[in-house]
Amino acid sequence: MRYVLKTLIQRRSLIKELVSKDLKLRYARSRLGFLWLFLSPLLLVGIFYVVFYKFLQVRTEEMPFLLYLMSAIFPWMFFQNSLTGAITSLYDNRNLIRESGFPHYLIPLCVVLVNLIQFLPSLLILLVSSAFMRGGLPMSAVLLPAVLGMHFVITLGLATLSSLLYVKARDIKYIIEVCLTLLFYLTPVFYPLSFVEASLSPDLFRLYKLNPFVGIVSLYRVTSVKGGYYSMAGSLDMATLVYVPVLFAAFVALCSALYYRKNKRRINDRLFY
Amino acid sequence: MPEHIIELENLGKRYELPGVSVSGPVVHTRDVWALKGVTFEATRGTVTGIIGRNGAGKTTLLNIIAGTLSSSEGNLAVKGKVLGLFNLGVGFQDELSGRENIFLNAALLGAQRKEVEEKLNAIVEFSELGDFIHMPLGTYSQGMRLRLGFSIIANLEFDILAIDEVLAVGDSLFQSKCFQRLMEFKRSGKTLVFTSQNMDLVRRLCDKVILLEHGRLLYEGTAEEGMRRYQQALETERFYVGQGRLPSGLVKDTKKWAQDMEDWGKKLGTKEVEIETVEFIHRFGLRSNRVKTRSPLTIRATCKVHNTIKDPHFGVAIFRRDGVYCYGPNTVFDGHVIEMMQPGKASFQLRLKELLLAPGEYRISLAIWDKDEALPFDYHNGFYPLHITGGDNKNDALLNTVYEAGSEGSIVNRLKKMIAGKPYVQPSPGKAQEPLLNPGIEIGRVSLRDTQGCGKDVCTTLEDLYVEVQLLKFPKEKNNFCLWADIFRGDGIYCQGIQMPIEKDNFARAFFPEFPLLPGNYAAGIGVWDFVRNKFIAYKNNALSFKMVFNRQDHGTVYLRHRWDWHIT
Repeated sequence: MRYVLKTLIQRRSLIKELVSKDLKLRYARSRLGFLWLFLSPLLLVGIFYVVFYKFLQVRTEEMPFLLYLMSAIFPWMFFQNSLTGAITSLYDNRNLIRESGFPHYLIPLCVVLVNLIQFLPSLLILLVSSAFMRGGLPMSAVLLPAVLGMHFVITLGLATLSSLLYVKARDIKYIIEVCLTLLFYLTPVFYPLSFVEASLSPDLFRLYKLNPFVGIVSLYRVTSVKGGYYSMAGSLDMATLVYVPVLFAAFVALCSALYYRKNKRRINDRLFY
Repeated sequence: MPEHIIELENLGKRYELPGVSVSGPVVHTRDVWALKGVTFEATRGTVTGIIGRNGAGKTTLLNIIAGTLSSSEGNLAVKGKVLGLFNLGVGFQDELSGRENIFLNAALLGAQRKEVEEKLNAIVEFSELGDFIHMPLGTYSQGMRLRLGFSIIANLEFDILAIDEVLAVGDSLFQSKCFQRLMEFKRSGKTLVFTSQNMDLVRRLCDKVILLEHGRLLYEGTAEEGMRRYQQALETERFYVGQGRLPSGLVKDTKKWAQDMEDWGKKLGTKEVEIETVEFIHRFGLRSNRVKTRSPLTIRATCKVHNTIKDPHFGVAIFRRDGVYCYGPNTVFDGHVIEMMQPGKASFQLRLKELLLAPGEYRISLAIWDKDEALPFDYHNGFYPLHITGGDNKNDALLNTVYEAGSEGSIVNRLKKMIAGKPYVQPSPGKAQEPLLNPGIEIGRVSLRDTQGCGKDVCTTLEDLYVEVQLLKFPKEKNNFCLWADIFRGDGIYCQGIQMPIEKDNFARAFFPEFPLLPGNYAAGIGVWDFVRNKFIAYKNNALSFKMVFNRQDHGTVYLRHRWDWHIT
């Protein structure tokens, strides 16, 4: 662990360059440039809003549907984009590793960081609209960085693990893609949690809440929308909200670290030839 | 006593190659030693050159010194910061400016931003790029990119520089500048290790040379002696290195006929090893000796080893039923070394990627030979019949190689392909045609060209080639006619007929990706076929004659892409 931190500090220039390169390339030759950082999430929310609120008539009792949607779809997109971007990243950038031999995890780390930077403007959009619609932010908003940190650890852990596994077996890409779709529908992004509670038996509902993303999106809701906690407290308990995601984060981080430690000497053989 | 900055002791590197089963997932792996027992050291402020053939393990060794690969056995001690240089301009991005690319590249090479900022001016100055440094890299020429790449290296801090064949870059002026800078490095006490095929560079720069061959250290010592031995190795191995000239080391002819047809169907050999079962596996992974033309084929054999034998090699040969040698690879030609076989079970297999043989009846030989191919351990001579299917072969062609007739851009040709699948109906010109003169038609220049458009009469096997025919006189209604090029072996065996549409300006051409004919003499006859009357209206014998050469010795007429796998104890 100490060794990893030391490497991160030593290689901070590299991380910075890789991240800034990625961001520059992403918006190179576009007319609106970095404005897309705000435009893309707004357009995305617009589409979901029209489809689910207007067409499908989804209503949420907990908070206005717009806030309910935004507080989940933005974190979800951060997670999904990071993971899909990271899976092939190590393999795609093998020439970089070959040349300079830096630790492999820096590459998925950079992918996640780039996505994090893209996530921050949408988080801002969420907070501004929440403050506007609810007349202020909840006290728990001070915990938002902690939520973000935990979310980041989960994303980074899974991103690193899948990019390493991808080098060994390409199947992982397709597995992850399917899992992401499944997980998206198993997470209360655009349907109310109370609706799930009402339609599932108590046992099944408990099982449903084992999905760490139920806890994560709820945490975002609680910390960014005023009154969010009280309106959702009915269907949520401390375990779902805190323990499951935290344990999951620890588990993922541990798995990826152990896997990397065990395989780091052999990855390059597979990567280069 | 000078300080050893790099010390390698008995270093080995093993790769696990996935052995792929014919169908389904990866089943077993095979170990390959890319390096074995390599010991040497380099002292501070010296230049070491690593020479050897392609695939000798040079790059693997550099990778290990640079720390991008780990060794499988032995000890490695490297003191100081190593800069591994396997490509100039790692991670260069076209969309970013030259200046931004300097920061990115330097960071990849392990430099801190502060260091790069201090050296930015020196880098830009060295690269001689001037104001171009603020332009996107996409606007740079190839030479400018390389100059920028080298300039970054030239100004970074390091103790050891490991360079992999990248110094032959830029114009001669910049090259001499690179060379100067390398000498400066040497004087300032930095240690250089590099691989190169440029013998002049090796001679001028190196204090010491290491010669690698099949992953083993063959020689360590002075540059002169090392290069002499390398040249020797090249000549004896008949391996072709370098470009543009026709070296004496190339194979110019191969076996074209079965030599012992009367022994077909017999099993010969000392039987120290016995081939027990032989299977032919076609493209769907099923056992069958009926295989479709242009489809893959795997020939798999299991053996029983009775005595320990040294230096064996496996060979497979494919003959047509009349004894024409189609293809005969063996593991020695492919550069594999099998040291010994211990008593027990063993197996080997040859996977042919694409069977470029025309439909018909063939015979297959399998053998396990000793080192000099003097006495076989086991030799199943012409033992196994193979039926290649996929249409009738009235004109007794030998080959079914892949080609594209017509120019790429010809719309008529594309449309015809779209509608009919195949461009034309196949007529049957049969064997060598009598010359046929037609006052209305004159067949002009017939030529072979490489992808650069150079005309050739000596071509290398697996080169991309065009056949071009210019007709000097020709009737107006082209669509009733097509051109027919028949390729024959020097001994008159008919290889394949190729149809070409006649395009505008009375021109016709066909493209052969990786033309697979093996060394020897060949000739082509050109005919004009009339679809309406269903016969040739003009034919020119020996319109083109050409030679093939190759850097490998594989017997037969056509090179089939393949790979060997084996399991021995």
